[in-house]
Amino acid sequence: MTTKTIKPWLFLMPALIIYLTVIFIPALYTMYLSLFSWNGVSSSKVFVGLNNYSDLFMHDTVFAKALKNNLVWMIGSLTLMVGSGLALALLLNKKLKGRIIFRGVFYFPYVLSGIVVATGWAWLYNPTQGFVNKLLTMLGLEHWTQAWLADPKTALYAVFIAAMWQGIGQPMVLFLAGLQTIPQDPYEAALIDGAKSHQSFWYITLPLLRETFLIVIATTLIGSMKVYDIIYGMTGGGPAESTQVLSTWMVSQTFKFANIGTGSAIAAVLVLICMIVIIPYVYYTTKKSHV
Amino acid sequence: MKSKWSSMLLCILSAMVILSGCASGTKNAGGEERAGQTGSQTTISVWTLNNGWEWFASAVEDFENANPDINVELTQYEVDPYKESLKIAASSKTLPDMWFTWGGTLGSFYPENGLTLDLTQVSADHKWSDIYNKTAIDMSTYDGKVSGIPIHLNVLGMWYSNQIYEELNLKAPSTFAEFEEQLAILKENDITPLSFGSKGGWHTMRLTEQLLEYFAGPELHDKLKSLEASWNDPAVVKTFEKIKEYTDNNYFPVGYSSLDPMEAESLFYQGNTGMINEGTWFDRNITSNGVDPNDYGVFKFPTEHTPARSSVFVEMLQINGEIDSDKQEAAIKLGEYLTGKEVVNKYIGEYGSPALTEFEVSENTPHQKILLDHASEGGFLITDQALPQEVVQKIFEAQDKVALKEWTPEQAAENIDKAVNVYKSKQK
Repeated sequence: MTTKTIKPWLFLMPALIIYLTVIFIPALYTMYLSLFSWNGVSSSKVFVGLNNYSDLFMHDTVFAKALKNNLVWMIGSLTLMVGSGLALALLLNKKLKGRIIFRGVFYFPYVLSGIVVATGWAWLYNPTQGFVNKLLTMLGLEHWTQAWLADPKTALYAVFIAAMWQGIGQPMVLFLAGLQTIPQDPYEAALIDGAKSHQSFWYITLPLLRETFLIVIATTLIGSMKVYDIIYGMTGGGPAESTQVLSTWMVSQTFKFANIGTGSAIAAVLVLICMIVIIPYVYYTTKKSHV
Repeated sequence: MKSKWSSMLLCILSAMVILSGCASGTKNAGGEERAGQTGSQTTISVWTLNNGWEWFASAVEDFENANPDINVELTQYEVDPYKESLKIAASSKTLPDMWFTWGGTLGSFYPENGLTLDLTQVSADHKWSDIYNKTAIDMSTYDGKVSGIPIHLNVLGMWYSNQIYEELNLKAPSTFAEFEEQLAILKENDITPLSFGSKGGWHTMRLTEQLLEYFAGPELHDKLKSLEASWNDPAVVKTFEKIKEYTDNNYFPVGYSSLDPMEAESLFYQGNTGMINEGTWFDRNITSNGVDPNDYGVFKFPTEHTPARSSVFVEMLQINGEIDSDKQEAAIKLGEYLTGKEVVNKYIGEYGSPALTEFEVSENTPHQKILLDHASEGGFLITDQALPQEVVQKIFEAQDKVALKEWTPEQAAENIDKAVNVYKSKQK
C-alpha cells in the first residue's frame, strides 16, 4: 500500500468511524431486532423471523394507512412543495424591490421547529376560534367552515398545508441558488431568436436546473418519508388513526406498546423505501462527478 | 505540505468535536439538570416531570441541606418525552436511581422486568400503612411486591361552572337520568354540555370509562379491565352507543375528535362549555389560568352502583433495583422525605393530591378533599393505566370511529375484543 492509497483513508477515517458507529451499525442492529419479539428490556428475545413484517403487511390496518399516508405526503411534497418552491424562486430571482426581505420572509418558517409550527397551525384550524374558519366566515364562505383536523377526509391535507408553509423555504433556496448559476447568455440568444418567456423556461431554465432538481427531489422524498413532528403535534396520528404515518406508528409501537421488534420492522421498511430513492441518486451524482 | 498538515489537523479536530458532542454524559433530553458534586457524598439521580412539579427542586434542595452526605442530580421533562425517555433508559440500562412514574401499565413495565427495588420490607418496617393511603399503596404494588413510594393519589370527577349552574337553576346530578337531563338543558341554552378534547384519546376516555362503570357495574368493569371478560359485551356496546348519541346531539365541542384537551379546558374557563372531567390537580390548573377555583363545583359521576366508585390513579417514585445499596438507601430516604407530611404541608398549594392518609388542606385547592372523599367508597384504576397500551389505543380508535360514524357501537366492541385477543395471544 502506497502513501497515495493510505492518505485518503486517513482523512476519511474519523468521519467513517463516526458514521459506522452512530448510523450504520445501529441501523443493522435495528434490522436484526426486527426479526425478534422483544420489549426492549427483558433478557430474552424471541426469534420470530419475518413474522413482524407479515403481521404489518397482512394484519395491521394502521400500518397500511400509514404507508398510504406517506405516499400521499410524498406525492404532495414532490408536486406542490417542489412546484411552489420553484415558482417562488423564479419570482425572487427577478430584480424586485425588497426581494432580499421577501426571501427572508419565505425562508423563515423553515427555521422554526416542527412543534412550534404544529401548535400555531392547530390553533389556526380550531373549529370555533381559529383564524381559518373566521376568515371563511368573513368572506361569506361560512358553508365551507368545518373542523379541519377532526375529519379524516381533511385532516391529513390540513396538516400538509401547514407542512408546506413551513417546508417551502428549502426548495425555494435551493432553486434560487441553482438559478443564480445559470448564465444570461442562453436567455439573450433565445430572445434574439424570438423565444417567448415560457419557451425560455422550458428549454433553458429547466434543463439547466437538472442537478438542482435532483437534490431537491431526493431531499424532499426523504423528508416526506420521515415526516413526524408536525403530525405528532397537530393530530397525534388521529382522528381515528387517519393521519398516522410510518414514523408516528413506529414510535407508538416502540415506545408506547414496547414492541421493539414491530417498531424495528417499520423502521426497516422506512429505510428500504428511502434506499429506493437514495441509491439511484448517489449512483447518478457519482457518475456525473468530476472527481 | 503545510496546507496538507493543516487539512489533516482540521479533520481530526472536527472529528473530536463531533465525538465529544455524541459522547456527552448529560441526560439532557429536553430537561434541566444540575451538576453533581464530588467527594464522599452519595450522589443519586432523579427524573420527574416539570409541569406541576415546580416545587420539587426546592424540596430537593431542602433535603440536601438537611443531608449533606447526599447529593441529588435532578432532571425534569415534559410528559410525553418523559415516557419515551424512561423506556429508552430502560432499554439501554441507563435508568436513573429514582424516577417518577404513573401507576397501572405505565408503571408496571419496570417492576415486571425486574428493574425496580422491591420495597415490601421497607414498607413494613417503616409502617407505610400508617403514612400512605391504602389505595395508593395497593396501586403501587405489582405481583405482590411494593414497587414504588406513592406520591400522589389522584381522583377524577365531573367539574362544572357554578355561574352557569346558578343561571340555569341546576344542581349537581345524583342520578344518571338527571345528568342526561342537564346535558339537554345546557344544550338548549347554547352551552356545549361536555368539554372534551379527543386528541390523544385519553380525555374522552374519562367519560367513556364512567359510562362503562354505569352500564357494566363494578364487577364486570373490573373483569373487563383485567381481560377476564370479553369486551364484545352489551355493556360495552351501550357505552359506545352513548358516545355516539352525545356526539350526534352535539354535546361535545365542534371537532372534538382532534381537539387538544387543553383547548377543551380553555372553552371551559371561557364559560362556553358546561362540564369537564378532571382530577384533584385541577384546582391548580384553574388558578394558573387566572381563574378562582371557587367558581367551580365538582360531583361524582352518577354510576348508580354500590359501591359508587371514582376513577383513580396513583403516581409513585420507583427506585432502581440495580444500583448499590448505599444509593438505594439514599433514594428511599429522599423518596420518603419528598412524600412525607413536612414537604407535603409546606408545598400543599402546588404539591398536587398527596398519597398520605393525613395532610393539611390548602385553601388554594378547595376541591381536593371533596374528590378524595368521593374515592373513600372505592375506586377503579383509570383505563389508560389499567389496560395494556395496545388495547388502550384500540379504545381511543373506537371512540373516534364511533364519533365519526366509521364504526357502529357493535363494531367498536368487536374490535376492542379483537385487540384484547391479539394482545393475549402475544403473551403466550
